[in-house]
Amino acid sequence: MSTAVAVRPLAVTGCGVVSPAGLGLDRLGHLLHAAVPGNAEPAGDDAADFPPGPLRAVPEFRLADHLGRKGTKNLDRMTALGLIATKLALEQAGAELTAEERDATGVALGTSTGSIRSASAVSRDTLVQERPYQVNPSQFPNTVMNSCAGQLAIWNSLRGVNATLAGGQLSSLFAMRYARVAISQGNAARLVVGGIEELSPQYAWAWHRAGALTPGTALGEGCAVFVVEDAAGLAADRPVLAEVLACEVGFYGATRRPGRTEGLALSVRRALDRSGVAPEQVDAVSLGATSYSALNRVEQRALRAVLGALPAQVSVHDVVGECYSASGAMQLAALLAHWQRVPAPRPRTALVTSVGLDGNVGALVVREGRGGRPD
Amino acid sequence: MPDDTLRRVVVTGLGAVSSVGIGADAFAAAIRAGTTGTGPITSFDTSGFPHVMAGEVRDFDPDALLENLSPDQWGRSSLLGAAAARQAVVDADLDPELLARSRAGSIMGTTGGESTVLQQLTEQWVHQGLKSIDPHIVAQAPASQIANAVNSELGLTGDAQTVPTACSASNFALGYAYDLVRTGEADIMLAGGADAVNRATHAGFFQLGALAEHTCRPFDANRSGILTGEGGVALLLEPLEHALARGARIYAELLGYGVNCDARHMVNPDSTSIAACIRRAHRSAGVGPEQIDYICAHGTGTPTNDATEVRAVREVFGDRLPPISSIKSMIGHTMGAASGFGALICCKALQDGFLPPTANVARVDQRLGPGVDCVPGSSRPAHLSVVQNHGFAFGGNNAITILGRVA
Repeated sequence: MSTAVAVRPLAVTGCGVVSPAGLGLDRLGHLLHAAVPGNAEPAGDDAADFPPGPLRAVPEFRLADHLGRKGTKNLDRMTALGLIATKLALEQAGAELTAEERDATGVALGTSTGSIRSASAVSRDTLVQERPYQVNPSQFPNTVMNSCAGQLAIWNSLRGVNATLAGGQLSSLFAMRYARVAISQGNAARLVVGGIEELSPQYAWAWHRAGALTPGTALGEGCAVFVVEDAAGLAADRPVLAEVLACEVGFYGATRRPGRTEGLALSVRRALDRSGVAPEQVDAVSLGATSYSALNRVEQRALRAVLGALPAQVSVHDVVGECYSASGAMQLAALLAHWQRVPAPRPRTALVTSVGLDGNVGALVVREGRGGRPD
Repeated sequence: MPDDTLRRVVVTGLGAVSSVGIGADAFAAAIRAGTTGTGPITSFDTSGFPHVMAGEVRDFDPDALLENLSPDQWGRSSLLGAAAARQAVVDADLDPELLARSRAGSIMGTTGGESTVLQQLTEQWVHQGLKSIDPHIVAQAPASQIANAVNSELGLTGDAQTVPTACSASNFALGYAYDLVRTGEADIMLAGGADAVNRATHAGFFQLGALAEHTCRPFDANRSGILTGEGGVALLLEPLEHALARGARIYAELLGYGVNCDARHMVNPDSTSIAACIRRAHRSAGVGPEQIDYICAHGTGTPTNDATEVRAVREVFGDRLPPISSIKSMIGHTMGAASGFGALICCKALQDGFLPPTANVARVDQRLGPGVDCVPGSSRPAHLSVVQNHGFAFGGNNAITILGRVA
């Protein structure tokens, strides 16, 4: 019925990363370049409760150092990760937003579960407290999955659309796809968009028991968010880190035909088509499925089917661990970190690919910002 | 104003798995009659809870409603959502093979995601330790499984996105799906929501002081809160031209929607922000307040919500309030599915010509001000052209859809 139309690029004007590499894009770039994994030691009272196996955890931090003490008491750790990343991203995006701009600025955040730590703590209280209703009412709002996105809006007075997107490994790409639609339809002028994942013993045991990861794979966490705006409407003097071109996704559940390999190849092809980028113009691929050997093969085969020989490959999971819902955002951040660290004579173009255990697949095309200006 | 380069989007299929009936017709008939589906909770042990009522779907039989999913592979919310989506496809009289080959997908809203799976995992944690949690149900826990279940049941290869934007999530899903269809990103979308009654949600609302003891009575002077509820709901969206070409029954046109965020408080609603959202929705649909014939309220039945909601409506509509009713009086607060059930009853109301009622109203709260017609008791016949469907949520997430007869 319909044909895919060309897409309006989204300008990335700010990026904030909180990862096992530490705070900021520079730290991530530094560890990626040195091929050094991020921090392996979780902090906190429950650090001893994690299952055996490698972890990559955000180094211990104090939210009050970033936001001040006021009003932070009932915020959970996932929200803290999101708030710090968002602060970094908005600072980089430039001048303080006006009230009118905040009316048109929203959030699109990828998470498949919200904070497992918060949700399971409240659920546990219904079993272990003297009375089953004795859950902490000030913690209860943390259990809804849009809690983090809601707090990002509250703390930054972002009154535009507030979206939370759940899609397993694809969650961050879903958030970017949502952002593209929302901005193209005038539902927002600007969005803080990305993905978030939080390590906790409950979360880590779930992965451990499910046994889905390739043995030896580190489980990671973190938050990467990007400030995105309509590239066409941007003032010429605004620095642009990158432009997100197409973001195409599909669902190819495990037992169906076409399978995930064909599905991912289709997404990559469509994303390149809609971006006006030829396969040979792809300079790098930021890989998504490196933590699962079966999916890794799917990703490699699909990429070869479309690109032929593979260009440079970036594997952010080597530094930050498998970040599930935050994966796509970390993959994109890794490209920006790499580009920032290793300048090139011309703007580079890259693919971010993602394959989920659940059958979701997707591809995003991103182009390096040109000399701090949109074209 | 609507942009005429974009496709018009219509609703041609409805599916509902609810505490008052399975299937859109059964659901709508029960709502029309003012039937209440809430009762004592059976899905978890309520010993020790002072309040024990909820709107459960007690006769949900996933095997009977689903063609492709194995119920033991999916959590309750996913099954409720997928069953509703299957019904919507049957109701739309779309060839399933054709649908599977189309650029089609699903956007499903939720508040708690797979909350009963999390509840089971927590029980295992408490009783046997984290090292004993069941790997089989771990895979069922992510909220994203809800849209995945819909796509798996129907064999769809397009977007499978779950939007956990809490209690306005179905409206949010409808808005997103509408954008995907009208821009040509997709040709057919299922949109709706699903949630399940669970202990943590019940406890949380009790602790917030927002849970009614026996009865949910929105707009009543003696209203005392919500009853938690559950269900799955789905609407099938397609371009108007496609629906006309295949001779489909068209329930309604999705004229537009508004979304915004209070950005002030996690749980307290904000009438100014809700009014701004109503205006956004009107602008998107290209309608003015004088054209709205009915408002399907968020109407949770808490003292604060209903007062805030009516204040917001007054801010936009002035003294001429359209009839405004709450189906939560009958099915409880079905969380992420709530505004989907609202949208579904709006479609039926447009099609069959009635105002959905608010049940359990003994005396309308005078403090809400004059002119509040909450359609108490049972439905009234009415010719409706354009209606407005509210959804508000934790996180200050407001989402409002506008539906109308195809003109």
